[in-house]
Amino acid sequence: MTTGVAGLDGDVGLRLLRTMWRIRVFEERVGQLTRADEVHGLVHLSVGQEGVAAGVCGQLRPDDAAYSNHRAHGHAIAKGVPLGPLMAELMGREGGVCRGMGGSMHVVDVERGFLGATGVVGGNLPLALGSALAGRLLGGDQVAVVFFGDGAVQGGIFVESVNIATLWELPVILVCENNGFAEFTPRSAHTNVERVSDVVAPYGLDRETVDGNDVVAVREAFAAFLDGARSGGGPFLLECLTHRLRGHYEGDPQHYREALAAEDWQELDPILRLQQQLDHEGFEVEARAEVEEAVEWARSRPFPSPEVIAELVYA
Amino acid sequence: MAREQIPYIQAIGEAVHQEMARDDTVLYFGQNLALTEEDPFVKAFGADRVRVTPISETAEIGMAVGAAFAGYRPVVQLYMAEFMLVAMDQVVNEAPRFYGMSGGQVKVPIVLQAGYGFTAGWAGQHTGTIYSMFMGVPGLRVVVPSTPADAKGLMTAAIRDDNPVILFHNYLLTLEHGDVPEGEHVVPIGEAAVVREGADATIVGIGWTVGKALAAAEQLAGEGIDAEVVDPRSLAPLDTATIIQSVEKTGKLVVVDQATRHGSAAAIITAEVASQGFSSLKAPVELVTALDATIPYSEPMEQYLLPDETKIVAAVQKVIGSPVVA
Amino acid sequence: MSENGLSTERLSWMLTQMVRIREFEERVKSTFEDHPGVIRGHTHLADGAEASIVGSLATLKPDDQLTATYRCHGYPIALGTDTKAMMAEIYGKETGICKGYGGSMHLIDIDRGFLGTSGIVGQGIPHAAGAAWAAQIRGKGQVVLSFFGDGASKQGAFHETLNIASLWKLPVVFVMENNNYQAYTRVEQEDANAAAGEPLAVKAKAYSMPGETVDGGDPVAVYDTVHAAVERARSGDGPTLVESMVFRLSAHGNIIAPPGVPLHYPEHEAVAIFGNVEEYEAAKRGDPVPRFRARLVTEGTLSAEEADEIAEAARKEMDEAVEFGLESPLPAPEKAVEHVYA
Repeated sequence: MTTGVAGLDGDVGLRLLRTMWRIRVFEERVGQLTRADEVHGLVHLSVGQEGVAAGVCGQLRPDDAAYSNHRAHGHAIAKGVPLGPLMAELMGREGGVCRGMGGSMHVVDVERGFLGATGVVGGNLPLALGSALAGRLLGGDQVAVVFFGDGAVQGGIFVESVNIATLWELPVILVCENNGFAEFTPRSAHTNVERVSDVVAPYGLDRETVDGNDVVAVREAFAAFLDGARSGGGPFLLECLTHRLRGHYEGDPQHYREALAAEDWQELDPILRLQQQLDHEGFEVEARAEVEEAVEWARSRPFPSPEVIAELVYA
Repeated sequence: MAREQIPYIQAIGEAVHQEMARDDTVLYFGQNLALTEEDPFVKAFGADRVRVTPISETAEIGMAVGAAFAGYRPVVQLYMAEFMLVAMDQVVNEAPRFYGMSGGQVKVPIVLQAGYGFTAGWAGQHTGTIYSMFMGVPGLRVVVPSTPADAKGLMTAAIRDDNPVILFHNYLLTLEHGDVPEGEHVVPIGEAAVVREGADATIVGIGWTVGKALAAAEQLAGEGIDAEVVDPRSLAPLDTATIIQSVEKTGKLVVVDQATRHGSAAAIITAEVASQGFSSLKAPVELVTALDATIPYSEPMEQYLLPDETKIVAAVQKVIGSPVVA
Repeated sequence: MSENGLSTERLSWMLTQMVRIREFEERVKSTFEDHPGVIRGHTHLADGAEASIVGSLATLKPDDQLTATYRCHGYPIALGTDTKAMMAEIYGKETGICKGYGGSMHLIDIDRGFLGTSGIVGQGIPHAAGAAWAAQIRGKGQVVLSFFGDGASKQGAFHETLNIASLWKLPVVFVMENNNYQAYTRVEQEDANAAAGEPLAVKAKAYSMPGETVDGGDPVAVYDTVHAAVERARSGDGPTLVESMVFRLSAHGNIIAPPGVPLHYPEHEAVAIFGNVEEYEAAKRGDPVPRFRARLVTEGTLSAEEADEIAEAARKEMDEAVEFGLESPLPAPEKAVEHVYA
């Protein structure tokens, strides 16, 4: 049970709301830009899942390693990746966090501990374990966090990672955004175990399932695990039940599911829910201005010159 | 009356459908297919033979092998070749080995359908051209159709072949339309096609680069250079004889491949011509391949790396103008 | 004796197979000493696992199938595969069951339902599920047994396959022979459940399937457990994970050495690496083959003479297998390029 907004210190609530609005506005703008082909290639937006990114990443330090998957923009923004360089990356420009080399699915910002997005389902899990192991060896209290979807749980790499993380008691927090769909198929086509926390139950790691659209509940549950990981515990699994409002990728006609009714979305929307409790307006407008500035800035950046590639093959 | 042209991806599906109708041991499965009972494959062949799988390539390909042991002919839709890398053991170390290891007791007639080369902003992990990794694996067949008709013909042949076959289809060709025979259509595995005749130079193109080679040949024709374009269509087995026959005619060879130089089929083709057709060569072989880098996301960089008509034309001009090899 | 009322004949058959497996494996091992150079590469023996193998296979009907690992000699012996051809295969001879192409790790007997093995840990598990899918389509009530070791349960293939098999309710039974060692590593060193003192069968809960642990040294107990799982699979209710506790009496395999160094079986890892002499001695005392023989004789199912006859027949059979293997010719070298493509 969450203590709710009332349990939040100071302006934590406002910060959560602001982060979510920044993600929401950024993602919707990216959606428009893909249709105008200013952002090209394969893009996966996290509209609807902002609560998880904000609730988790807001509590992390730059020296905590965060990994994400193909649906990474929200996690990157919440981890502190600035919007201008992020947008420039999506536009393939110099000034992009990866100088245009990576694109949407390969956003990396080492300075801010966003060790990155990866494009192959489950490929990020063992990477996070590596960071956790390194953190342990370095002797500090930094932790690793890895975001993945419910679809990744059926992959072999998932159980290999859970077994080792548990055996070695690694300070890694596995955050599963369970939105009930793996690309275009519902969870029931992938497994007959509904809850991801039940899949890991036999390994005995500390785990919890929360309403991923209740950003305060996410924050609270994660805080407890973060505390545990910093004090030498681990691993942990936080399953966040959430909703991916848009298609799997931008352009996905979504023939495989019924569109959510507007009223139903109103009740699920993590932003609206917090906003009603905090009674604060203004972040949306602020976010629009910030995002537009990012778009203009990104548009002004040159495309990288091809010679750059040769420099970036080998260290 | 010939029907309208159909897209490449539809041609592949047509082959699978027709083979499943002809032979009820053919199975079809993979991620994100057979989503509902309305799916045409499910309606036609039932939910037993057509299934959606979780994201579990090791299990998907391994199960295909096991079902093949038990007499079935599975087709696995893997979507992208890179996803095979997750399950390399099953692809390279299991499927092609059992026939040999068992002294011929058991066959593994599986087909792995793998898209590749999606250099349209899909960035570093979804754009690779990795077919050459599989060319030297004994027991494994590799085919790379460049036209919708060949896509149908080679998929049909792949399903009928008693060995494991990887069918690589370039994502950039997905919606390319072409004339495709409506009924049964088989393109034998291991047979190259001369898709444009010419006398001055041979251009070997693979998959998506065949179209680039043909465009380059058009441009060269305007300069009075008559290029012959050969499409191997299969990489394992490789129809070296047809390629060498062309080089015997022209004496000049340019090989075009979307893969990187040392990771390309072009390198293997070049080695074979140097080894078996050396006396026909009047100039060193030119390879036009992707430059050695992980495909970047940003479009100008992405395109910079790839073979294109300009590079192919320049390569032909180079071999035409090169001094004669003593 | 068992809930399933195993007949005297069946019990006698079970002891016979266990003894035959033991005699065969002893011959393989002694070949390294008696005829150095005849066996090359890496062999893995089933001594200590006979009760688990035979108890499991005793549940099968003629058109059921199975896959196994590189530790594969025991299964075809119990199925009735010609032991001469098996030994010849291990010796690399052209009269071998795979004509010398496969060797010890890759025995196969399709006609008897033994669909083969993989040398790569865990990778045969999805093969079994594929065969089970085929069985499900055919709808004739066939079941497939998937044998693997405890080490395989840390492979992604285990996770992926058990999930799909459960979701599709495939007629497969997963039999994990837990011998507490993954090659040279103890199970607690590599498995989170074992490290927590739990049986590995708990992993079944992740796949919403039943998980059972059984004493793999008691063939009747194994029979009872696997039989229930096989019937469950046959009736369309889906797979089960059976954890069969065994102790392999030999080391993981013969030593790994380049050509020129004579191959042989070293000491068991319990002693050689972990210095745990008592663990090994206790396992030898609990050797399932003499244990089962003693039980059958004590209970009057068999007389001592009948038990002796079984042993004598097995010795003779396996001596002949060795002879046949030694006398058989090696394959002609040029055959190497055959059996590449079907």
